[in-house]
Amino acid sequence: MRPFTLNYAFPSGLTTMVTPYSFDAARQLNVLPDGRPAVMDRELLLAAGTTTSTAGSQTHFDD
Amino acid sequence: MTVLILTSEEDVTADMVVARLHTAGAPVMRLNPADLPGKAVLSADYAHGDFDGHLSVNGHVLSMGGLRSVWVRRPGEPAAHAAHPSPWLTAETRQALFGMLYSAPARWMNHPRDADRARLKPWQLRVAHLSGFAVPPTVFTTSPRLAREFAEEHRDVVVKSASGPPPGEPGVALPTTLIGPDTDFSAVAAGPALLQRYVPKRADIRLTCVGQQLFAARKAADPGQVDGRYGDTGHPWEPVAVPGRIAAAVREYVALASLAYAAFDFAEDEEGVWWFLECNQGGQFGFVELETGQPISAAVAHWLAHCTADRRVPGRR
Repeated sequence: MRPFTLNYAFPSGLTTMVTPYSFDAARQLNVLPDGRPAVMDRELLLAAGTTTSTAGSQTHFDD
Repeated sequence: MTVLILTSEEDVTADMVVARLHTAGAPVMRLNPADLPGKAVLSADYAHGDFDGHLSVNGHVLSMGGLRSVWVRRPGEPAAHAAHPSPWLTAETRQALFGMLYSAPARWMNHPRDADRARLKPWQLRVAHLSGFAVPPTVFTTSPRLAREFAEEHRDVVVKSASGPPPGEPGVALPTTLIGPDTDFSAVAAGPALLQRYVPKRADIRLTCVGQQLFAARKAADPGQVDGRYGDTGHPWEPVAVPGRIAAAVREYVALASLAYAAFDFAEDEEGVWWFLECNQGGQFGFVELETGQPISAAVAHWLAHCTADRRVPGRR
């Protein structure tokens, strides 16, 4: 018998997103192709959805 | 004194704080435990009754004597990126890393010991009661009969997961779901079910607590909406004032839970009452700051860069 709560689970449909920024090890943050910190582009971050309450990593569920 | 941030490279919310620390001229090291061993190197010495430890990654070096604070954000499993990962290697690396970090007089946001306890939903509800929050009646049970009686008493009830959706691929979502008293509860015997009286809400409230600072944001709910995290309602998050009673309860809660950071979720009902739903010790704040402009990352950076080191040395009598 499947646990009751799992009756309300469904495929999330989330796909791995290709984000237009990459990690700069020296500066210790993500940068855009032009070298600016990704956090300077608010619209980009909102569109990427990587700061939302459901954007958990694979290893951490505290959202 | 250096701030250590434990998180993955792709964590752009951490970037928000790193950028603030850079602007303030505060030294920072960012480490993903998954990169140890590998990109990161660790050494801890216990000799002559003294302790010293060092971490290095990406050209940055940190000594435990110079460690001010640790921010636990979105860290990977220790050794997950090793050439030959294994549960044993993860356990050994966890011992090495956290054994060393716990030996340093640093402040934590949040200490893993406190974080583990804070994640327990039933414990959250108890602390919420003690803190003075309004808490919807809740039951967490493996008894189908008790689940049915609870649903019959409260009529509109939601089921939610305490630990989140089951991990793995493909991804699974498990939102808070409204159910009625006619539901078949027999499967409650196969696993604990967390049921709570449904609070018809006119808004979701997200309150972020950083040290002593409180930032509350409100998002209007669609009629009948149950879980505001799923589905785009089209309503934005907007700053909202924190009622005095709520502020007092938040401060009591974080003191009881020993948390430096906490993200509270409330349901605002039709009468304006904020009902406590959960307190997330590692809850996201990026989306709130991006939409409302509230300076949460600045508050986090300030706490990390200015907190006084913990001078209690473990084990000293």
